[in-house]
Amino acid sequence: MTREKMTVERVLQLIEAFGAEPGGWPEDERAAASSLIEAEPDVFAEALSEARALDAFLLSEALPEPSDELVATILAPAGAALATLMMGKVGGYAYASGNLGYDQADAVYYAAFSVDSDASWLSLE
Amino acid sequence: MSGLSELDQITRAASGDRAAQAALVNRNMPIVFRVAYRMLQDRAEAEDVTQETFLRAWKALPDWQPKAKFSTWACTVALNLCRDRLRKKKPVLMDELPERVDTALRPEEYLSSQQTLKGIEANIAALPERQREALSLCALEGMTNIEAAAAMDVSVRALESLLARARRTLKARMSGVLAGEKQ
Repeated sequence: MTREKMTVERVLQLIEAFGAEPGGWPEDERAAASSLIEAEPDVFAEALSEARALDAFLLSEALPEPSDELVATILAPAGAALATLMMGKVGGYAYASGNLGYDQADAVYYAAFSVDSDASWLSLE
Repeated sequence: MSGLSELDQITRAASGDRAAQAALVNRNMPIVFRVAYRMLQDRAEAEDVTQETFLRAWKALPDWQPKAKFSTWACTVALNLCRDRLRKKKPVLMDELPERVDTALRPEEYLSSQQTLKGIEANIAALPERQREALSLCALEGMTNIEAAAAMDVSVRALESLLARARRTLKARMSGVLAGEKQ
């Protein structure tokens, strides 16, 4: 949006919705709104002051931390879930292509379950 | 790992690279947990939602399409999981109810409930569900209006309206404290 098209009312709406920091405003309106505020600071002083106070209070939010075990709990099933999915894809291709025998396809399955070793199991060669 | 683009990181994570999986979790788990906690107000439940979100992520990664940032996708999933949980707890949507004093409380109980609503956390928790989501994503997690609207599956205008209403409510409820902040 250009500086000419930006209005006082719209800047006040932006402040009311997104706060006093231009960084939080919609990108396509940020420059024009900032420019209007710079040109007429008194018009927006009160709205900006009120919004800054609320912004500061929002930043004081204190939430509990997740438990130390959460990362490990999240990562534990990652290998198995991905291996199972990839097993279906690779194994399905292996059988469908007819280029691999059962033994080779089984090898792909077993490799999929040992996902920690390396990513070479993705290759059918 | 920090030099990798998000898409590279996702591709590596999908191919079983444990370091990439850990980096993806470390980068995105905190925001998912905080968003879930603000909605559910319960650490154990927020952790369950965070865990379930990443379980879905592991299943989605092999077919990942870079249409949105991973954090936006993860917040969408987490918010949906939170909504399901809240719906099971309260069959009537909070947004549909007019805001009013709970007359079922005895005077001393009402006073006590008001005394606990003094911190910013409690005031955010008391916002209607959709306003809380909007405030959480935009004002507290720094998402752009476009990202937050996508995560909430609402229009950008609707998001802005939710944000304005949330901030007006907070300003009214905390007028005394905010007056002190301005000075």
